[in-house]
Amino acid sequence: MKEQDPIVFIIDDDALIRDGIHSLIRSIGLRAQTFSSAPEFMHAKRPDAPACLVLDVRMPGLSGLDLQRQLSDANIEIPIIFITGHGDIPMTVRAMKDGAMEFLTKPVRGQDLLDAVQNAIARDRELRKDRAELTETRKRFASLTPRETEVLKLVVAGLLNKQIADELEMSELTVKTHRAHLMEKTKADSLAHLVRMAESLRNSLRK
Amino acid sequence: MQTAHAAQSKLPALVRYSLAIALVAIALLLSLVLRVPFGNPFWFFFSVAVIATTWFAGRGPGWVAVCLSSLAALYYFIPPLYSFAVKPQDVPFFLSFVACEMVANWIISWQKQTEDSLRQARDELEVRVAERTSELKDANDALLNRMEEQKRTEEALQRVRSELARVVRITTIGELTASIAHEVNQPLAAIVANADACVAWLTLQIPNLVEARAAAERTIMGATRASEVITRIRSLINKTPTERAQVQLNEIIEESVVLAESQAKRNNVIVELELERSLPVVLGDRIQLQQVILNLMLNGIESMSGVTGGPRRLIIRSRIQEDHQVNVSIEDKGIGVSAENMTRLFEPFFTTRTQGIGMGLAISRSIVEAHGGRLWAESTVNQGSVFQFTLQIGSGSSE
Repeated sequence: MKEQDPIVFIIDDDALIRDGIHSLIRSIGLRAQTFSSAPEFMHAKRPDAPACLVLDVRMPGLSGLDLQRQLSDANIEIPIIFITGHGDIPMTVRAMKDGAMEFLTKPVRGQDLLDAVQNAIARDRELRKDRAELTETRKRFASLTPRETEVLKLVVAGLLNKQIADELEMSELTVKTHRAHLMEKTKADSLAHLVRMAESLRNSLRK
Repeated sequence: MQTAHAAQSKLPALVRYSLAIALVAIALLLSLVLRVPFGNPFWFFFSVAVIATTWFAGRGPGWVAVCLSSLAALYYFIPPLYSFAVKPQDVPFFLSFVACEMVANWIISWQKQTEDSLRQARDELEVRVAERTSELKDANDALLNRMEEQKRTEEALQRVRSELARVVRITTIGELTASIAHEVNQPLAAIVANADACVAWLTLQIPNLVEARAAAERTIMGATRASEVITRIRSLINKTPTERAQVQLNEIIEESVVLAESQAKRNNVIVELELERSLPVVLGDRIQLQQVILNLMLNGIESMSGVTGGPRRLIIRSRIQEDHQVNVSIEDKGIGVSAENMTRLFEPFFTTRTQGIGMGLAISRSIVEAHGGRLWAESTVNQGSVFQFTLQIGSGSSE
């Protein structure tokens, strides 16, 4: 899977600020796309690439905090850098709790913003990688037969082949065969790797 | 009549009848003593006894006195003396004596009764007047107390009200400051972002002059905007128009309609224009006058946001008045303004909205007045409002 160039989304109702941030971000060679309102951003088609959001808190209509909530309701995970005129503490706390990356006050110093953007994109890259791995793992685990899945559960629980055979009322040889198949299908290098993958799947389900 | 009886019966009956007997006895004694020197003057004393008895003891004892006097006269003075017999020639004399006594008794008792009932009526009246007077006094005292109490309540209310006004003012000054801070901070943020971008483009290994120039230009725009904000705030404080140019109000109205279009659309308001085509120009500050018109329009649109059912129409008119003035009116079909709020409508910091600092109308009026015009409002609750202002026609040229 080839990764596309990262992109920065800028949402601010003030054209001059929007263009300034846009220009600043392009000057370090990053792609950027601007929007004058939160709904405009929600309706736009976004490229599939590592990204982050530079968002003005105070906007007419849908505010930055409202957009953050909408994104999280829609299960869209994207790091957000908030820019605010006068960030009060409750507002900041709320935004941070909801997963904001940064909270910068206007006027923002260029370097601070660029640092925050770089961090946010790096974070999104990791998130995307995790998500991609998870999808892949899920696909591999889904290809297992019901019998193999049963064996998998007991293997991950730490049982020996003999114990598994007793539990599932089959011969130890059959257990070994199933085990070999499932290691191959999940592309697990070792038992430890298999357990890690199963764990990450379980965690994603719990979420 | 009952009251007359009541007055007479102040003396016990026994005393009253004894008085009759005593008076007649005195009259008889006097008559007997004085008979020798003066002949026969018995009727004078008996008459006095009857009159006195009737006057002081009432009609009943009066009759007793009449009877006793008659018997005494019959016995002692009418021949044959010392006997109750009467000679036939003396009968008319005796009868006229008795009749005189009876008439005296009757007249006096009638007179007495009238006087008693009059006195009674007067006494009663006095009692009633006294009663009414005291009732009135009580009522008056109660009223005074109430007034005193009300005065105290009003004073307390006034204190609370002024305290509240103070708190509201402090709060709104805070809001105003925050609002101005935001207005100034926005262009500053734009300046910093664009200047940073400009520097970034220039410090590239191969500087991008096109981008740097664009960023520098935006920096200048931001700075200009910041200074405009400052100028606006300053002119708001000075309340004097900074510029006097020929202004065509129709143009400003049409521009304002465009500016308010999205707001009108969002609130489903239809904006109608009834503009006088040959409207003369006025002298003034274009930006400030636009601020007034736009503010009145947005207020009108806002006032209709809660209206359901009825039409949501905002009608803007311009016309020439006879007194060499131009009149612009903005009429809405909104919720209107209550009479109570009407008096405070143009006061600074007065607002009926939860958002807004209540400066719009105060500023609008001060702008119009600084232009030598007048701004006022008429409103009917639940029917709508008309805000209008007049300005002197400037320099005579007409378009």
